[in-house]
Amino acid sequence: MKLTRRNFLAWAGLSAVGAVACDVFQEEELSLQSPRDLPEDLVKGRDNWYATLGGQATGGEGVIVRVMEGRAKKVQGNPKYPVNRGKQSVRAEAGLQALYHPDRISGPLLRTGPRGSGQYRAIAWEPAALDILRRELNARRENMVLITEPLRGHLGMIAERFATAMGGQHLGFETLDQTTYRAAVKDVFDQDLLPDFDIANANFVLSFGADFLSTWGASTRLATAYGEFRQGAGRPERGTLVQVDPRFSMTAANADRWLPIKPGTEGYLALSLAQVIIEEGLQAPGVDVNALTDGQGAAALNAYRPEAIAPMLELPAQLHAGRTAAEYIRELARDFAGHRPAIALGGDSAGAHTNGRFNLQAVYALNYLVGSVGQPGGIRFNPSSPLRNLPAAAKVGSLQDWMDVADRLRSGRTRLALIHDADPVHGLPATVGFGGALNRDDLFIVSFSPFMDETTAMADLILPDRVFLEDWGDDIPEPGPGYQVLGMQQPVVNPLSDLDPRSFGDLLLSMAQEMGQESALPWPSVEAALREDVEALYNLNRGTSREVDSAGALWNLMLQQGGWWDERRTGQTPSPAGGLLNRIAAAAAPPDFSGRGEFYLLPFAHNSLLDGRNAHLPWMQAVPDPITTITWQTWVEVNADKAAEMNLREGDLVRIESDAGSITALVYPNPALPPNVAATPLGQGRRHGSAYATGGDARESSNVMDLLPAGARTESGGLAWAGHKVRLVATGESLKVSKFEGHFPAREIAITSGEEIIKTTTGEASTGGASGH
Amino acid sequence: MQEGRTLSTREINRDLLRSILESPRWFWPVVTVLGIILLVAAIAIGIMVNRGLGVTGLNRPVAWGFFITNFVFWIGISHAGVMLSAILRLAKAEWRRPATRAAEVLTLFSLMTAMIMPIVHTGRPWRILYWVFPYDFARGIWPNIRTPLVWDPSAILTYLTSSTLFVIIALIPDFAVLRDHTTGVAHRVYTLLAMGWEGNARQWKLQITAGVLLSALILPVFVSVHSIVSWDFGMAVAVKTWHSTVFAPYFVVGAVHSGVSAVAFVLILLRWCYGWQDYIRHEHIDALGRLLIVVATGWFYFLIMELLFGMYGREADELAVRGLQFTQWPYNAWFIVFVVTTYFIPVILWLSRAWRRNLWIMSIACISVNIGMWLERFLIIVPGLVNKQVFSFTWADYAPSPFEIIIVGATFALVTMLMLLFSRVFPLVPLYDVKEGDILKTEVKVGRRTVPATFRED
Amino acid sequence: MVTSRAKHKWGMVVDLDRCNGCQACVVACQAENNLPINDKNAFLQSRAYEWIRIERYWEGEYPNVRARFIPVLCQHCENAPCEPVCPVFATYHSAEGLNVQLYNRCVGTRYCINNCPYQVRFFNYWHPNWPERLENQLNPDVTVRTRGITEKCTFCIQRLRRAELQVERRGGGTLNNETLKSGNYMPSCVQACPTNALMFGDQQDEQSPIKPYFDDVNKHNIHHEHERETRGYRLLEEMNTKPNLIYLKKVDKNPVKGGQHG
Ligand SMILES: Nc1nc2c(c(=O)[nH]1)N[C@H]1C(S)=C(S)[C@@H](COP(=O)(O)OP(=O)(O)OC[C@H]3O[C@@H](n4cnc5c(=O)[nH]c(N)nc54)[C@H](O)[C@@H]3O)O[C@H]1N2
Ligand SMILES: Nc1nc2c(c(=O)[nH]1)N[C@H]1C(S)=C(S)[C@@H](COP(=O)(O)OP(=O)(O)OC[C@H]3O[C@@H](n4cnc5c(=O)[nH]c(N)nc54)[C@H](O)[C@@H]3O)O[C@H]1N2
Ligand code: SF4
Ligand code: SF4
Ligand code: SF4
Ligand code: SF4
Repeated sequence: MKLTRRNFLAWAGLSAVGAVACDVFQEEELSLQSPRDLPEDLVKGRDNWYATLGGQATGGEGVIVRVMEGRAKKVQGNPKYPVNRGKQSVRAEAGLQALYHPDRISGPLLRTGPRGSGQYRAIAWEPAALDILRRELNARRENMVLITEPLRGHLGMIAERFATAMGGQHLGFETLDQTTYRAAVKDVFDQDLLPDFDIANANFVLSFGADFLSTWGASTRLATAYGEFRQGAGRPERGTLVQVDPRFSMTAANADRWLPIKPGTEGYLALSLAQVIIEEGLQAPGVDVNALTDGQGAAALNAYRPEAIAPMLELPAQLHAGRTAAEYIRELARDFAGHRPAIALGGDSAGAHTNGRFNLQAVYALNYLVGSVGQPGGIRFNPSSPLRNLPAAAKVGSLQDWMDVADRLRSGRTRLALIHDADPVHGLPATVGFGGALNRDDLFIVSFSPFMDETTAMADLILPDRVFLEDWGDDIPEPGPGYQVLGMQQPVVNPLSDLDPRSFGDLLLSMAQEMGQESALPWPSVEAALREDVEALYNLNRGTSREVDSAGALWNLMLQQGGWWDERRTGQTPSPAGGLLNRIAAAAAPPDFSGRGEFYLLPFAHNSLLDGRNAHLPWMQAVPDPITTITWQTWVEVNADKAAEMNLREGDLVRIESDAGSITALVYPNPALPPNVAATPLGQGRRHGSAYATGGDARESSNVMDLLPAGARTESGGLAWAGHKVRLVATGESLKVSKFEGHFPAREIAITSGEEIIKTTTGEASTGGASGH
Repeated sequence: MQEGRTLSTREINRDLLRSILESPRWFWPVVTVLGIILLVAAIAIGIMVNRGLGVTGLNRPVAWGFFITNFVFWIGISHAGVMLSAILRLAKAEWRRPATRAAEVLTLFSLMTAMIMPIVHTGRPWRILYWVFPYDFARGIWPNIRTPLVWDPSAILTYLTSSTLFVIIALIPDFAVLRDHTTGVAHRVYTLLAMGWEGNARQWKLQITAGVLLSALILPVFVSVHSIVSWDFGMAVAVKTWHSTVFAPYFVVGAVHSGVSAVAFVLILLRWCYGWQDYIRHEHIDALGRLLIVVATGWFYFLIMELLFGMYGREADELAVRGLQFTQWPYNAWFIVFVVTTYFIPVILWLSRAWRRNLWIMSIACISVNIGMWLERFLIIVPGLVNKQVFSFTWADYAPSPFEIIIVGATFALVTMLMLLFSRVFPLVPLYDVKEGDILKTEVKVGRRTVPATFRED
Repeated sequence: MVTSRAKHKWGMVVDLDRCNGCQACVVACQAENNLPINDKNAFLQSRAYEWIRIERYWEGEYPNVRARFIPVLCQHCENAPCEPVCPVFATYHSAEGLNVQLYNRCVGTRYCINNCPYQVRFFNYWHPNWPERLENQLNPDVTVRTRGITEKCTFCIQRLRRAELQVERRGGGTLNNETLKSGNYMPSCVQACPTNALMFGDQQDEQSPIKPYFDDVNKHNIHHEHERETRGYRLLEEMNTKPNLIYLKKVDKNPVKGGQHG
């Protein structure tokens, strides 16, 4: 064919038509059918959602669990449960991985090697394992100790009664114990239960050390309230959050203002704010200042005038640029008192000093001045348990209690230790020597934990419990939502066939009965005890009980909705004891730091691992820390400029040395940390158990508790875990940090506003439109 | 204008068929070493396909790395063939004659090698059929014609087809010579390949017309191939330093730069290996050097413009990538090496006539260009991904893994091996073209074209 | 566009003033969508999978310093740059406004990853492995992706499909804001988010809390942002990818400017 101009044009025309045709057909062509689009592609079978409780990892959340063909598939917040209202913490899904964890102990184990060696052989429950348990209980029950996680509800009651009936003691274990906080709440409000905070309706929250958006208190509940506090519909103004904290915590990161105060001086700042409020007459209407100060008024706190206190707080000068630190404190007091309802709350490191109880007393007393005690937008108090036989607060040992237990173990007076889901060997300061105390030939240790950990590794006999998704139980959440709640835990799946765990509660009950203790523990099983008390709840005829017409129906309803509650049975609002402020001021003492070194050591609970109880769960290990984005490793945060000055770069391995010991950690230069603070999370440093917890390089997995001397206590005998100074010594080694953040400094690089990723506005008017939820 | 002595056709046949009819002592050891390298690479690819691309150094922002760099590099090399054969043929540049065959064959082999790269770089190479071919009639899903990744294979396969035709047409007269010089199986094969070539006037006329036509037809393909490869990047709106309008001409000129340098180096190698001093002469290398000065300078202009335009916008994310290229170790070092090796070293060496005629210096210059051009592709592809977009939170660095280094290294062995094997079967310097060149010195005019005065071999 | 057949047009609103960076959404998504476990190497090699991730940016200098959090997930762009570059149509736009990923078609060229401006597409460099017992927990509604393919946020399409099935077929009603809220149909991340920073809904549903934000941002396009009545904006708005996600600006009454251009 010859290419003439004529047929060139013809071809060109044809291809143009073809192109247009293609474009027309494109629509059809692009309407792809995805298999995902087709409902038929969803697997057959029904899924059911069961309501239950979220277990230890979540700290009292109610959850619903999706179950399909006998397997649990998803855990999420129970929309009906008063504590978390369908929302969940980052830890909530942990239960699923605990349930199907490859390293679960499948059945009873008897120690064969030396204690702590981890050498065990499998034995049968009947008769071998139970015979040994009976024998040892009979022989050694006097002065025995039963160590559990903090337990409430029926299991708490059963554990308590069991230990007492056996002639021993039950103690709950918590690494960062709340005993000092609890004592301060008692001192200031005369309450035995921890309070709830109505942040959703507050206009100003002044938080001292409490990392309540991450791990402190009912953090999920408070986070939901925080969302409303910022952008809730129909609020008069957007809430203001001020975080007073020597560490740049997650809560500090979200605060409108962050005051990096000298550790342990929180109480002084709080009293100084009180002084300004009284002196300037900023207290809420109706607040009787004279009663609080024994008639002295501002004079009672004269020593705490901002001008006197400011120097000891060591606030950085750039913070109050253009004015003095004292003026800055005065302004803070005016802001706080001027934006009612306002809440002052405190915890975490603020209460973990030798003067921790004083700090927290002074902080909480501020609530009286701004009139937020028992008021909307203020502090709400929790009522006692709906059933008298059930404890509403877990019995948790203070450091003093643990020293006593260790002494009894060492002296041979206690010859039997029963342990359930608690790891004091890992969680107590190494100087307590708890591991050593357990390492005695005349001691018999039984662990009921479904997973190996430092304490279980010391056991003679391991009788694995069911995990919470397989077992009955209940909980009285603490801190509660301000009214009576009894959460219900039900088995949502059966244990897999290759596992043979037995319920710890049921085992305690049957052992007690075999030992002739039917009177104290008459029930055949935890479920039976629950059923009996559901009847008692029904007879109360209030709250959830009024929605049904029989105890059986109440049982079913509780299983469906996840528990029983009565919104009208709230806690009592206390009134202040006369001269409260005078007494607190009189108790003031500066913090006493043990150890020599340039840095204040601030340990903190890990956002997902907490104190290490979740360290065996890969999802929890792999969640980036919100601030540093580090996963799987132990790090130490050091002020970025300070690190540069010390020639330390990210990933440099340093030895943190205290007077009590030393650990290694990877340096993370943090642009937001006071230059004299070193912050390290708890949670790693496990040496026994699942490979997920122990498999890494030992140099990058350390337990900060190994640094703490047991000698430093708060006024109430709690561990003063924030009261130490440490040295950082470069080892010369360097490891790659396994963080989610990329390799370059994450700062916004935008030049034009179109390129900004996180846009900000100073205005409040622009919050219009629906706010949702 | 031609240098060197006039050779008889018998001498030409003997010399140029030496590579086929005799086996040099170094030949089999070299082939064995190359074979081992290829075997190692084949094992590496096997492991990679079996275990997943996790064995590479690629990561979240940097999803393309060494393999794609190497792909673009070999596509670039493949531009030598057409440049020398087609353009110079149409331009009637006499000095092209000994270089054409090597250039065309290099084109073929580098294209084939290049095509391996995107295949092994995919996550599921065993599924790429429906990427290239519209086979999935049942669901009516055809390859997505909107993506450069479909334009790419179309352009490359077209280029491969036309280059193959080009080589075969040019080889026919030489096959006939081989047919006449061999016995046994080889004879029968060459007989088949010679397609009854007798060297009569009609055959010569057809052969020459076909060559000229193909030269003209292949030119647009030549321009489009590297333009389209450049659009793999230019069309990517989300990578700041890729999304650039200047890429098509910039890539094409760069390809000619690296391709012609590579051909020059191959010619020097052949001259050494097979003792073809009389055919690949200083004047040829000299001419290539002069051509390269022009190409290099054109390329350099585009480079400067590319950088200038990019910086002129002063967009934060673009500046961030440039910052990485210019200031961040090791990219800054590589950047300096890249500019110096691609432009300054070779162009300075090519400026002197004496140096252009020194084969050692020419070799250094040509290798230098190709080191630089490889780095150029790397520095285009990787930094744009390392500091991608304004999400500085996700920026992460990239370093190749041993797997990538081995596989990329082996592509050089593969091309070398293919060239060597080819040289054992077909003449790498076209006999008839050289003869034609010699004869043409007599300047016999027939009609509108100059054609050889004799029609028969002896 | 083929929107005519669509019953819904899904969208998400992210309130940066509520988000506290807690990461609950991240784990909720991983659990719902069978994401591979991010072992330490995944982080060391910068290959960790988080279909929704919390980016943390520093602003200012000590002590006037901020750490700002932003959840980033697939923006389900109407003009998705990832879609036209895929040679095999493994990623395409659904009629309901979702950017859909067809795992079984994907050949793993990773071009879409390069061309996604939001960096939310993840390549399976390795075959995902779970210890045998942990496999019991995998969601049967979600494909486990093999090595060599790209994956990303799907707006939890399996939940939407189940919802349609249950609400529209069994109950006879329609899937709307109310049924979304009362069922377990919300995307996993939205359901989990304790601060309610994430909101999900149908842009066409009058009752949906997200609608006003979409209306506002659609009405006042990129050159008229200052006229918007809400804090709404889209990420990288000048790229005109038209995401079905809207972000609400963070409120900061004491902005720190220093060090912003670090
Ligand atoms: N509203 C409106 N639209 C218009 C017009 C109008 O008047 N009004 N005019 C139209 C006309 S006439 C024109 S010419 C077009 C121009 O429109 P565009 O082609 O978009 O031109 P620019 O906006 O100048 O450049 C776009 C970006 O490309 C980058 N760029 C361009 N070339 C290169 C390069 O080689 N390398 C690199 N790295 N980057 C490069 C630049 O950094 C710049 O940021 O706009 C057209 N569109
Ligand atoms: N600062 C700056 N200068 C530039 C450029 C740049 O980006 N920035 N870009 C450069 C480029 S790429 C270009 S193309 C030029 C464009 O430069 P110009 O050609 O000057 O284009 P415009 O500025 O668009 O102005 C064209 C004029 O034509 C009018 N007009 C519109 N439609 C019609 C019509 O139908 N008939 C008639 N008679 N008039 C009509 C418009 O009202 C306007 O006044 O600018 C160049 N100069
Ligand atoms: S955000 Fe990225 S992956 Fe999602 S639709 Fe847009 S371009 Fe595609
Ligand atoms: S990686 Fe998969 S989805 Fe992405 S462009 Fe390639 S084939 Fe398409
Ligand atoms: S919408 Fe679903 S898939 Fe997307 S990020 Fe949220 S949970 Fe993950
Ligand atoms: S769950 Fe909500 S508050 Fe937490 S990080 Fe995700 S979006 Fe932010």
